[in-house]
Amino acid sequence: MQAADIVTLLVNSLTWAMATFLVAAGLTLVFGTLHILNFSHGGFFMIGAYLAYSLANAIGGAPSIAMYLFGSLVAGVLVAVLGLVVDRLVLRRLAGVDDAYVLIATYALLLVCEGSTKLLWGLNYHSVQPPASLDGAWLLGNAVLPKLSLFIIGAGVIVFVALEYCLNQTRPGRLVKAIAADPWMARLLGVNVRLVYTATVALGFALAGLAGGLLVSNQTLSPTLASAFVIQAFGVIIIGGMGSIAGAFFGSILLGIIDAFGQWVLPGLPGLPFFLAMTLILLLRPQGLMGRRNH
Amino acid sequence: MNHIDRRSVLKYSAAAAAAATGLPGLVRAQGSGPLRIGLITPLSGPQEFIGSYVKNGAEIAVEQINKAGGILGRQVALEIRDDKANPAAALAAARELLGSGVNLHIGGISSAVVLALGPVMQQENGVFFTCGAGTEKMNHENYSPNLFRPGDSPDARTRAQAKLMAQKYPDITRWTGLVPDHEYGRTTWSIFVDGLLEFYPSIAKKKPEILDPILMPYGVVDYRNSITQALRQQADGVFNCTYGGDAITMFQQARGFGLMNRYKVICDAANEFLVARGLKQQFPAQWTGMHYYAEANKGNPLSDRFLADYQAKTKDAEPLGWAAEAHASIYALKQAIEKGKSTETAAVIANLKGMTWQTVTGPRTLRAEDNQAIKDVEMVYIEPAATEKGYKVTQYVKVDGKSVIFPPAPGKKLTLRSA
Repeated sequence: MQAADIVTLLVNSLTWAMATFLVAAGLTLVFGTLHILNFSHGGFFMIGAYLAYSLANAIGGAPSIAMYLFGSLVAGVLVAVLGLVVDRLVLRRLAGVDDAYVLIATYALLLVCEGSTKLLWGLNYHSVQPPASLDGAWLLGNAVLPKLSLFIIGAGVIVFVALEYCLNQTRPGRLVKAIAADPWMARLLGVNVRLVYTATVALGFALAGLAGGLLVSNQTLSPTLASAFVIQAFGVIIIGGMGSIAGAFFGSILLGIIDAFGQWVLPGLPGLPFFLAMTLILLLRPQGLMGRRNH
Repeated sequence: MNHIDRRSVLKYSAAAAAAATGLPGLVRAQGSGPLRIGLITPLSGPQEFIGSYVKNGAEIAVEQINKAGGILGRQVALEIRDDKANPAAALAAARELLGSGVNLHIGGISSAVVLALGPVMQQENGVFFTCGAGTEKMNHENYSPNLFRPGDSPDARTRAQAKLMAQKYPDITRWTGLVPDHEYGRTTWSIFVDGLLEFYPSIAKKKPEILDPILMPYGVVDYRNSITQALRQQADGVFNCTYGGDAITMFQQARGFGLMNRYKVICDAANEFLVARGLKQQFPAQWTGMHYYAEANKGNPLSDRFLADYQAKTKDAEPLGWAAEAHASIYALKQAIEKGKSTETAAVIANLKGMTWQTVTGPRTLRAEDNQAIKDVEMVYIEPAATEKGYKVTQYVKVDGKSVIFPPAPGKKLTLRSA
């Protein structure tokens, strides 16, 4: 294996990892705070992607990078509003109920997302051209580094750093962490727990919508997009440790690297190293890389 | 609160037992009402999109036939069931329909579904037409006398593509494949290789060089590792068997690496306009196989009428081939029933074997030995275009199906040349 191959595979690994992390970030945030495993998260990611697609379509042709980012932010805001509606109608009712009911209710929400997508955008496959400045690749020696890949990696890192900063260095972030640890005590101390829950749900959904917009030119759009992404997002939050943002970040990087280099070594068995690694990690550390045992 | 007493339990149990044992004889008879035909196709899940074409094509055929007086004077009614592209769901739907007296069925575009339905149709005395399953096994080791394919066989389609490549690109001799890691992908690639090994020496007078295909994971959202593997090869021609949304994602991600620009020709197995519609101007120019291309069948009265009815029904300008396969299946059943003046399974099968019937792509013949249609293989060359549609067809080719299809070999395994 030459140096160029190693660089290309590393970039591929990180692209997969950051695309997955972008989707998983909101999912693990909501789980870490509300202890609700929102199976419909992929559905709202998909809706974010379709909203960004509609915006790009309204402009026509390849969007500029500024418009691409603006479309992603708009998708994030609109999906956050949807999140508030979902919180009011569904998530609040799931507080304290058995996990099986949560799973069924949020899975039903996923079906609603898929059905709504079919109604609004149809069954056809769609795609969005990347901005001209993200089209093509840079060459580093013989290594090919697609610009869109580097953009996705950058977006994932920025979202991770921003989340970590907000959660650890700001007062609202510390409140979220405090409530996640002990909502009863937080309530006794006069914290409006309900408001923080609602804000966390809105942020979790906004992250799903933002991820949809940022990744819209990375893959095809179809009503099955939700299921395709949510499975790997669940994989990394389980490996990383349920509810841990840093766990999802580093878990996705680890799995991305294992998958890329594993496929190099075993080209006839694509996907096998990924699942073997997941199995091994869960056998050795059932709570995930950065998870706590009580999760 | 409702209480269920012992008497009620006995009453309902007796009724259930009677229904299970005595009634099937009653419900199995179709009677003299509408002639019911089962349509078992994916109407949800990943293949719903293709299933919607099958449903539209079947409904158009039924509407046309009913307007013209039906079959043997009986109106036709479709019994529509969702197979979810899942063998278990398809089997449940088929057993339910067979149990209620529906013996004639069409649909099934997943190979796994069609292979699962073969034995059930045989046991329960039904007939099934696939509207696009690509498995060669139904012509070979999984042959069932009750299964029919009115469209291209995988060997005819794929070998026709290899033949076309040898004719059009005699100097492009170094080939690789982008092959999904499942049975259909691997078999289709193997048949393409067989075709290259036959037609390059005989037509281009050159020996092709076959590189290891790049295996693509199925149903994922990232193909960059496979694309990186493909970049390391020095192939001039590529045969793509990735399909639908997977293919669109793969082409989108390959664009960043410039992979498709490295190939002098791209030949796609079966995406018709699916990928071109999804990618529009991002679409890399390529050949693809078609079940039906309306523009090329202009002047065929069945095609012209089918296209007009399809456009009126769906507001979609261009049907994809799966709609035509369903249409052809219903018309094949119509002709077989009218010939034998019977809807009984044995009579229908006897009349289907060796039958020639008219379709939107011209006449087709169902080979008696393995129930496989002999028909011309249609291929188009699609290029991106700066139009609202985003693509245009710039070449169209028909290859005589008889010149590329393998001889019938029901019950025997397919044997192929290998590099």
